[in-house]
Amino acid sequence: MTTYTITLANRDGASYRVAAHRPLLDSLRDQGVDLPYGCQYGGCITCAAKLTQGSVNQKAQVALNNRQINDGYVILCVARPTGDCTLEIGVDSHDKLYRNPFLDPLKPHELKADIATPLKEPT
Amino acid sequence: MAGNGMSECCGPGYASPADAMKAPREKLLYSIAIYTGTGIQKPDYLVTIDADPDSPAYSQVISRLEMPGIGDELHHMGWNACSSCHGDADMERKYLIVPGVRSTNLHIVDCATDPRNPRLHKVIEGSKIKAKTNLSAPHTVHCLGSDIIISMLGDAQGNAPGGYLHLNKDFEIVGRWENSMGDIKFGYDFWYQPRHNVMVSSEWAAPNTFMPGFDLEEVGHLKYGRELHFWDFEKKEPKQTFYLGEDGLIPLEVRFHHDPASSHGFVGAALSANIIHWWKDEGGEWQWEKIVDVENEPHPEWPIPVPGVISVILLSMDDQFLYLCNWLHGDIRQYDISDPHNAKLTGQVWMGGLLGRAPEVNGVKVTGGPQMIQLSLDGKRLYVTTSLFSTWDNQFYPEIRTNGGCMLMVNCDSDKGGMQIDPDFVVDFGKEPNGPSRCHETRYPGGDCTSDIWL
Repeated sequence: MTTYTITLANRDGASYRVAAHRPLLDSLRDQGVDLPYGCQYGGCITCAAKLTQGSVNQKAQVALNNRQINDGYVILCVARPTGDCTLEIGVDSHDKLYRNPFLDPLKPHELKADIATPLKEPT
Repeated sequence: MAGNGMSECCGPGYASPADAMKAPREKLLYSIAIYTGTGIQKPDYLVTIDADPDSPAYSQVISRLEMPGIGDELHHMGWNACSSCHGDADMERKYLIVPGVRSTNLHIVDCATDPRNPRLHKVIEGSKIKAKTNLSAPHTVHCLGSDIIISMLGDAQGNAPGGYLHLNKDFEIVGRWENSMGDIKFGYDFWYQPRHNVMVSSEWAAPNTFMPGFDLEEVGHLKYGRELHFWDFEKKEPKQTFYLGEDGLIPLEVRFHHDPASSHGFVGAALSANIIHWWKDEGGEWQWEKIVDVENEPHPEWPIPVPGVISVILLSMDDQFLYLCNWLHGDIRQYDISDPHNAKLTGQVWMGGLLGRAPEVNGVKVTGGPQMIQLSLDGKRLYVTTSLFSTWDNQFYPEIRTNGGCMLMVNCDSDKGGMQIDPDFVVDFGKEPNGPSRCHETRYPGGDCTSDIWL
């Protein structure tokens, strides 16, 4: 079984070995990490965490827009690690997750993937 | 004092709206309080509040019922029985059905055995509902004679339009209530008026759209609703749709007149900040019109004027007054709708909001704006809470994380109109034992102005 090391930067750097094939929410909760969650299928953003190093597969998430993804957010209930990762967890990692949509609107390429207009490649 | 022979029996509720208005004053309030999305790792819970002015615990939380797990996002709730089964002596208004929008869990809470200390009777797991019906994200609960139907805003993967969950009186899943969703794109609230064989349903968005938060751009991409649906109630299928367009962006709370003979009803279009009125004309055709248009307000720091965002409306039991909340502006308005085509503004109060008109009320900093409201059966007391939905709160009122929500009461003149915030009633959810929580929908043990439908 492939396993990776997950380090929680805002929990004194605590680290955990987790399976590659399981969602991070399940693996970390099983090891006693107290994490927020809601829908548990990748649709509601409650369990969002910030990935500061490493990479995950979160193809199943439908909650994040492209700006949130660019800011490093991952949806722990569906994200599976594809290498060692460092995360900030909980609402103390949500500094860039929520924004007033009237004061700080999204640009066309920052919308959710299904409605975003891709940025033009420089020619 | 029964108005007709049938009401001599002892079913729940009242023989008529007029009888409901004569019921004893509410002495207890049930409201939900959430920790989902707040950073506090505790379950959401149901609070019981003492609303008896002669009690030493008046205006205080007297009990808290925690749900079994975290992350439900309790939101709206409804009774197992209402005046629609007034003629059925075997029924009792005993259980509140308290859904979790995010988890899809349904909590059945016994409020009758000890009304001051509700207890959990049963949980219908969200996973079971999804597996059996392919539905998620429960919202509005209405009893239907002895059965219960719940609007479910998504399929099991959180895609629109969802459908309607049908439970029997023993809280067993019967299945899907509707025979067809027709071309309906989204679900949200609904209300039925059986003498006209009609149900009206409104549109929020897919759970996967609204749960993570609000993006204005997604409205333009048609990810939010702007239609109103009229159902053939007996056939359980949509029959006619009104496209409300820019006048009806995000139509939320649906209220028919309480008078079961009336065809008049209203919906608040949240983003357009309009009230839409519908009725059946002399030829038997449904018609609609806009009767209230809340102007956007300038804000010193905003590039565009602030829309009111009408998050809720309700009607007094005598169908004379319509109340609405502008969650972003911070005001509650009372309109006389004796002539439902011509709404007349008769009262207005301010609490919280983004315009800074009333940042503090009764010694409590109001974070958020007036959001859910519930009116006493006699039309004199309006209870108000300030939180809308965890992710949307976090976007528009981020300080709610540390301040929590609050509940206030507004005294309403039920004859001539007029409103005043009661100076002696405030429940500060910022001071809850486990930390600041957020309060949403409120109900009374004996039924209220949004719980009961007459056949």
